[in-house]
Amino acid sequence: MTLTTLIILLLVILVIALVGLYVFYNRDDKRFTLDIGGAAPRAAGGNDVSAEHTVRNRLLGLGLVCAGVVGGLMARLWSMQLLAASDYAEQAESNRTRTISLAAPRGRMLDRYGNEIVGNRPSLTVVAKPEVAEESIKVQLLANLIGMPAAAVRRRIQDQSSGAQSDRLVASDVSRRVVAFIGEHPYLFEGVAVEERSVRSYPYGSLAAHVVGYTGPVTTEQLKESEQSSDENAIVYEAGDTVGQAGLELQYENALQGIRGEQNVHVDANGSVLEYATSVEPQAGSDIILTLDVELQQAAEDSLKRVTNAISTTLKCNCISGSALVMDVTNGEILAMASAPTYSPNVFVGGISNDDWQSLQSEKSANPLVNRAVSGLYPSASTIKPIMTFAALDNNIATKDSKYYCAGWWTGFGEASGMYCWEHSGHREMNLVSGISYSCDVVFYEIGKGFYESDDPEAMQAKLREWGLGKKTEIDLPGEAEGRVPDAEWKWNYYTQADDADRQWKGGDFANLAIGQGDLLVTPIQMACAYMGIANDGKVWRPHVLRSVQSSTGKGSVVEYEPQLLRELEEPSDYCDLVRKGMIGAVYEESVYIATQFESLPVEVAAKSGTAERNGHNPTAWYLAYAPANDPKYVVAANIEEATWASSSALYVVRDLLGAIYDAPNEIKLYISPVDAGG
Amino acid sequence: MATDQGIREGEPKTLLEMVLARFGVDALGTHAAKKPRGGMWNRVYMAELIPNVLLVIFGTVVMWSASLTIPEASFPRHLAGIFLGLVFAIVVWRYDYSVFADKSMFLLALDVVLMLMPSIPGLGYNAMGMTGWVQIPLTGFRFQPSEIAKPVTVLLMASLTASFNGKIENIRDYLRLCGILCIPFVLILTQPDLGTGLIVLVLGASIIVCGGAKGSWVLITIGIIVVGAFAVVASSMTEGMPHILKQYQLNRLIVFVDPSVDPSGNGYNLQQAKIAVGSGGLLGKGIGHASQAGAGFLPEAHTDFVFALLAEEFGFLGSVVLLGLFGWMILATVGLALRVESPFAKLVCVGIASMWAFQLMQNVGMCIGIMPITGIPLPFISFGSSSMLAQLASAGLVQSVWLHRSKPA
Repeated sequence: MTLTTLIILLLVILVIALVGLYVFYNRDDKRFTLDIGGAAPRAAGGNDVSAEHTVRNRLLGLGLVCAGVVGGLMARLWSMQLLAASDYAEQAESNRTRTISLAAPRGRMLDRYGNEIVGNRPSLTVVAKPEVAEESIKVQLLANLIGMPAAAVRRRIQDQSSGAQSDRLVASDVSRRVVAFIGEHPYLFEGVAVEERSVRSYPYGSLAAHVVGYTGPVTTEQLKESEQSSDENAIVYEAGDTVGQAGLELQYENALQGIRGEQNVHVDANGSVLEYATSVEPQAGSDIILTLDVELQQAAEDSLKRVTNAISTTLKCNCISGSALVMDVTNGEILAMASAPTYSPNVFVGGISNDDWQSLQSEKSANPLVNRAVSGLYPSASTIKPIMTFAALDNNIATKDSKYYCAGWWTGFGEASGMYCWEHSGHREMNLVSGISYSCDVVFYEIGKGFYESDDPEAMQAKLREWGLGKKTEIDLPGEAEGRVPDAEWKWNYYTQADDADRQWKGGDFANLAIGQGDLLVTPIQMACAYMGIANDGKVWRPHVLRSVQSSTGKGSVVEYEPQLLRELEEPSDYCDLVRKGMIGAVYEESVYIATQFESLPVEVAAKSGTAERNGHNPTAWYLAYAPANDPKYVVAANIEEATWASSSALYVVRDLLGAIYDAPNEIKLYISPVDAGG
Repeated sequence: MATDQGIREGEPKTLLEMVLARFGVDALGTHAAKKPRGGMWNRVYMAELIPNVLLVIFGTVVMWSASLTIPEASFPRHLAGIFLGLVFAIVVWRYDYSVFADKSMFLLALDVVLMLMPSIPGLGYNAMGMTGWVQIPLTGFRFQPSEIAKPVTVLLMASLTASFNGKIENIRDYLRLCGILCIPFVLILTQPDLGTGLIVLVLGASIIVCGGAKGSWVLITIGIIVVGAFAVVASSMTEGMPHILKQYQLNRLIVFVDPSVDPSGNGYNLQQAKIAVGSGGLLGKGIGHASQAGAGFLPEAHTDFVFALLAEEFGFLGSVVLLGLFGWMILATVGLALRVESPFAKLVCVGIASMWAFQLMQNVGMCIGIMPITGIPLPFISFGSSSMLAQLASAGLVQSVWLHRSKPA
């Protein structure tokens, strides 16, 4: 302030001095004479001094005007350069400063032993501004350089999926040669840039693709959601950000997503960077440790592939879909979870192309993006029989000593609505234990009929729901399906086009439901959880894939996953023993062939198969097992669509997985038996 | 009639003068006659020469810094312009200016030739929308004849007006002077170079006014010009009326009142110039540290907007030094006009002083948003050899007036 005052003072003095000197030193200049034409000059004795005065005054006036100009300019400069200097300095600073946001690497995903399933790697990426699409010469040049058709380059530049304004991805993982060429010819490639991005890498390829999921550019909805979020800790996205779009990438987005850094740069008028100024380093996202075991996961995926290939070849059918999972019954940890067909999460790196997306969505490809283990819905078929046994016992529809007779053809609801047991020749004398072991349908038709005739027929559905069917298991994966336990009300509302008579819930519906057919829909994870309950005396842990979240600095874990009890079923232990006995029988008693498959394992196994019939299709085969039978540790589940008998298909997958767990591979050659051959 | 001692003698009176006098410098030009005749100090007019030399040095520093970031601002070419201008100035200084006092027809013809040169096919060269350049045959050099025409017009108007000896009493004489002034003015407008036209108009008008034109006539003329200018602008802005001003000229006129009319063109330029000047602050950002000019935000930083570059690098202090030097030089020239006897010499000084004052006001004023944007260079500072040559020749003319002050014209 004092300095400013001083300067103003100096200024004023300067101007006054200039004007003063000028006026003062010329005031007494009396020697001015002019030839004033006709009038007598003063020097010659005349007295006409008017011209002299006029010119003199006008010159003085000119001098004052000039001094005024200088003074006026100074005054204006004083106000601009001293009073408003900080405003202008701010404008100048914002003029030349640009902030570039630095993407933070996402957290990695490691298996339970620390093997990296999902990591990061740098990728040289060519991006282009949207306007470049209109410059055909540039597009052609770029296409030739990268080695892509020009039409494909143009389509990628026109693709708006990463936001209308943001740079469009042209090619990822380009060679150093391409980078050098673009860098050396900036005038040819205006609007085209090369960026080094951190992208997902998958050291194990497509392993566990359905569990880990994939990332993609943030969608408009996600952007809007993050903007409107009231949560202070929520990440605020920017257009073009890479976010989790499926699987664990989506589920644990908040942990995996890092904190963006900022780099301030000084630019020239064209926006070219002149120098780098201050920056805030990006903070990498947290690594997450999964419960998966890569070896077991690999075994699950290999086995699914091996068995479905064998079925396709032997039966000349298109058997490609199925799922397999291994879960720790003591805490709900998922050790392996596979879904077929699978996909490569690599195609999503740097943004998936439209063509790839379309092909992944097409009918022909059988929805490879769907994780069938949690989102696939199937009739459970006979795998429901152990649970149905609990339902019958708990509701006094049957007792431990109930006896049944299977003639292969059951007419409990009259001859007109007679039903076959899967074993058309009949199982003869049966009880609940052998009913499970031999999967005798007649035993369960009788149970269905028993419910139909009881006071509270819907107690059956209530029991199924109690066991977790028809509701989510709350596994930490997105897209889990609920399933469906049909009842009278549902049937009435669902079949609105049918006759009233057909909409009624009938005895046959109970019979169907009792063997897991009809309108029942379950997911593999639901069934695995139900079997965990059987193995665990009713304790069901919430299934989960996350083991812990590591701090991004790599020291220690921030969050350890604590096992949560999902439900505890109160089944009398003798009932449990009965069911388990039946399931052990299903492995070692029902058929020599099955028993032989499990013979080489060091532990005893309890299991149940299921073959769900579908009109016009091959059946969906199920096999669920837990082991060791006396002290259960693992539950293993598998199902295969468009397959054959469970014991000829899904069983092999379960056996392969148990073999992988106990290091006792199945040496027996696969034998695929078609459905119509019986077995 | 005139004495051979054209300037009053006297002793140094103020402290400043005494200090300067110790170094043999008659900075204010009041005591020169005290020196023996024929001495160096008697032959040059220090009051004009000192600020002039300092301005050229200041301009050289500014242009050197501009050459660091602006490839078009060739420092050697600037030095070459100064050298050529100095040669020219020395020739003019040695030459007796007064021979032009009765050569008005020759001057008028020269003026017209200069104005028409760019229109001669094969000679003219087009740049920045103007045909104001002339290509010297067989060489790569170009020059702007309208710059040279400025001192020629000064001589022309001074010779015509001086013949009335300070008293223009006949309205027909007055109108004839105005009419002759209109010849170079109109010719320059056809190039079209409104900025140089305005300079010619202003310096010519100053000469006529100081040459003794009746006050009332002058006021009436100014009134007519104002009304006419207003009519031109208004008709150019109105649909259906003749658009005498081109759209870009109109934008330049309006933009300093309302920068939003042309936010990407002149409005942007003006905004960037103001930011450059304002952000310079008290002491400036230092040579080579001007972010506005150096990073290309400020357009034409070495030519039309050179003051903004200077103000950004040298701050308020630099601006004051520049304005002070200009003030000193201009007032010294007006002071010389007051002291010399010959009416022709007086009016030559008047023309040159008002030319400098107007160019200063226009160029600096445009950078700080108080004048419309025109392509007028800042004398002695802006890049451009034609301008440098013409300005140094004009300074030489002032020196010539001093050197030949004892000879009445």
